[in-house]
Amino acid sequence: METNKIDIGKEGSEIVKSPSGWRIVGREIMRDKVALFSLIFLIAIMIIVYGTSLLLDVREIVKVDLFSIHQPPSEEFLLGTDYGGRDVFGQLIIGTRNSLSIGILVTLMTGAIGIIYGLVAGYFGGTVDNIMMRILDFFQVLPFLMIVIVFVAIVPKYSILTFSLIMTAFLWMGIARLIRSKALQEKELDYVQASKTLGTSNFKIMFTQVLPNLSSLIIVTMTLNLAANIGLESGLSFLGFGFPESTPSLGTLVSYARNPQTLEFRWWVWVPASVLILVLMLSINNVGQALKRATDARQRRG
Amino acid sequence: MSYLEVKDLKVHFPVKGGLFGRTLAHIKAVDGVNFSIEKGKTYGLVGESGSGKTTTGRAIIGLNKITSGQVFFEGQDITNLNKANKDIRRDIQMIFQDPYSSLNPKKRVIDIISEPLRNYEKLTKGEETKRVQELLELVGLNPESILKYPHEFSGGQRQRIGIARAIALKPKLIIADEPVSALDVSVQAQVLNFMKEIQKELGLTYLFISHDLGVIKHMCDQIGIMYKGRYVESGTKEDIFNHPQHIYTKRLVAAIPDMNPRNRQQHLQFRQEVKNEYEQAYNQYFDDEGLAFQLQPVSDTHLVALPEKG
Amino acid sequence: MWKFSIRRIMIMIPQVILLSIIVFMLAKMMPGDALTGLIDPNVDPNTIAEKREELGLNDPWYEQYTRWVAGVFTGDLGQSFHFKMPVSELVWQRIVNSFWLSLLTLVLTYLIAIPLGITSGRYNDSWADRLITGYTYIGFAAPLFIFALVMLWIFGFHLGWFPTGGSVKPGLTPGTFEYVMSKLYHMLLPALSMALITTVSTVQYLRSEIIDTKQKDFILTARAKGASESRVYNRHILRNSLLPIAAFFGYEITGLIGGSIFIENIFGYPGMGQLFLNSILLRDYSVVTSLVLLFGILTILGTLLSDIILSLVDPRIRIK
Repeated sequence: METNKIDIGKEGSEIVKSPSGWRIVGREIMRDKVALFSLIFLIAIMIIVYGTSLLLDVREIVKVDLFSIHQPPSEEFLLGTDYGGRDVFGQLIIGTRNSLSIGILVTLMTGAIGIIYGLVAGYFGGTVDNIMMRILDFFQVLPFLMIVIVFVAIVPKYSILTFSLIMTAFLWMGIARLIRSKALQEKELDYVQASKTLGTSNFKIMFTQVLPNLSSLIIVTMTLNLAANIGLESGLSFLGFGFPESTPSLGTLVSYARNPQTLEFRWWVWVPASVLILVLMLSINNVGQALKRATDARQRRG
Repeated sequence: MSYLEVKDLKVHFPVKGGLFGRTLAHIKAVDGVNFSIEKGKTYGLVGESGSGKTTTGRAIIGLNKITSGQVFFEGQDITNLNKANKDIRRDIQMIFQDPYSSLNPKKRVIDIISEPLRNYEKLTKGEETKRVQELLELVGLNPESILKYPHEFSGGQRQRIGIARAIALKPKLIIADEPVSALDVSVQAQVLNFMKEIQKELGLTYLFISHDLGVIKHMCDQIGIMYKGRYVESGTKEDIFNHPQHIYTKRLVAAIPDMNPRNRQQHLQFRQEVKNEYEQAYNQYFDDEGLAFQLQPVSDTHLVALPEKG
Repeated sequence: MWKFSIRRIMIMIPQVILLSIIVFMLAKMMPGDALTGLIDPNVDPNTIAEKREELGLNDPWYEQYTRWVAGVFTGDLGQSFHFKMPVSELVWQRIVNSFWLSLLTLVLTYLIAIPLGITSGRYNDSWADRLITGYTYIGFAAPLFIFALVMLWIFGFHLGWFPTGGSVKPGLTPGTFEYVMSKLYHMLLPALSMALITTVSTVQYLRSEIIDTKQKDFILTARAKGASESRVYNRHILRNSLLPIAAFFGYEITGLIGGSIFIENIFGYPGMGQLFLNSILLRDYSVVTSLVLLFGILTILGTLLSDIILSLVDPRIRIK
């Protein structure tokens, strides 16, 4: 879209470049103090988590040490240890990294599938749309959580990628439906008809003409989805159907609270992870809501 | 052979319904239309909304599927334009009615105008910018505004951007679908005169679609009048405005406002007379379904839809 | 209306068939089959092979599938090898518990949502609205399992106001008043925890719906005619905003099923969600597949019901 570097010789300086839509959105976010703070917090968390996890030795952290079981926070263990004598703080860092990674991966994959599926269904409409929507309807009425749990239980060896793929397979429908309904409206507009008469191919119209007009919707939805996906992943890990304990996630730490003793007396094991999940989701939602306001001209604050 | 020839064009839209979404009936948006356009001339297509004039234009350029009939351009069959030869496609362009929705709001002017150029010509960035600036100058806009967004322009200016995009490939035929009806009256004349200028300059042929007889009178050499998907009357500007034969045309022509206030009373009376005639003679001019009859020649250029007996 | 309902039901039929195929395939993908749980591992392999042949486990998949479907229709869901009883019986015991828990949750959801949504929408930008919006903001972000854990921690363990597990106090005779009260008492905290989270979207929906409606022309007209404020709300705004909500319960079923898996796990409540998780851990797959099928059909029926009710309430929604 950006065509900044145009060489037009001497009169070049006279060309007025209007600010792009993103610049306006950026300005709105800067004005929204809560969202700005959330964004800075998120970026800081990412830098800390991805930075320090490079320095931490994962194997050292997840190694069971029977001599230091359930230690309260001390200088050696900042947030104490769990039932296996493992350092909670280290697990928190690694867990946040894993949860964030899966959340981002699932959001990107569901986004890609949803955008393509929704655009194709909405843009072509008619029979194509009809068939595609019936398929989507079917996916949407599946008892998603149960099927994911069954899959996790029967897929023998799973990694971050296979786990994300399983989640993606049952989570792309929401965004697809949204994109499809917007694309249905958009394709009726004359600029799409104009592109057709100008000899632009359907494929190009979909991705270079229609898609930019959906970009704000996509960004907002994907931000909100990211929060939901992190919540879902930690929920599955909490139930014991996420990652094994050797690959801790934030949900794994919370799951230790299913032991009533831990829930009642050893807050350091599960409270920090719970608070972190909550704060992460709140911040991501804040940013998402601010983006929503910024991209919707009617709700703009100033 | 004429420049553009439309033969027995039909565009029918299915009406879906019932339990299984079967096709229950057809809406005959365009129902057997014939006309031809001379090179370098402007052909006006007039009718009320829903008369099928826009569908006719869109069918010619391939935006609506043609149910039956044929379209010839420079002697070549272009009934299925989407599959036709690429060189012909670039020769026919369209100007849209709504200057607001016809320009992609997320694109800068340079991207909008160069869209056809990028599809058909391989230009370097520099050449492309130069062409776009020339085009902007040609349509009377500031060539420095290539990096602006459509929303920064007024309706008339936006329509000029639309025209610049349509003429970027130096087409031969332009289908103008109500190009000024979304604009303020003060801007309409500007855009119309400008369209006439570029017609002379580039040797364009227009198919001009409008519901506004005043605009048609100003622009067109040949005129066709449509009603419910069929032709009611067609002829030269002279034929239609000075010797309307069909009762529908008569009433349309009578409805054109008279600029001279002194004739107001007279004009009103005339309109009333035509209205009475229209109501009395309606059954003579339309069949049982309220559709027009087949066209009958009344002179070399003039065709009117009259019943067989005359 | 009839046309819509019939078409909607017709869409449902292939959905159910597809669901059953998927569940059947899942069952086939699971390690072990109907025999694994039934027999003694020391039996001679040849006898097992014979038995397999006899049970039709070597037949092509579609024959096995039709037999399985026929079984489901007659209520035969197979045997649970862990509990050594027919799956249908096992499921029936648990389904009752889950049903009451879900019902209580739904009731609480609406009991919370309607007053909060109306207050928030009617007096928008007041301090009460800000408070409610703040609650929905946090409730929207908070994952159910964390919220439920915190509730259990505070009200169950710390304050000791509610029981921390089970569905009824042991030793009570079914049917007595105490038994019923004890059941209710055990359900209250889990249901409330779930309702406080699921209600959030309904509150938000109601709020924005009321704010939207109250600026519409027909409301302004009603006011201009001199209708009192309460009449405007009761007769015009609420009628338009509350009816769709009543229809949402069908869509809530999906959420309730997902939520019950977490809630029953956390509160140790013996319902279908807990049965499902335990069966997976115990590799009692005939129970697992039956539950997935059952929940799937429930979801499909719930969506169907809501779609039809919504189409009655709001003709604009009727899909072609």
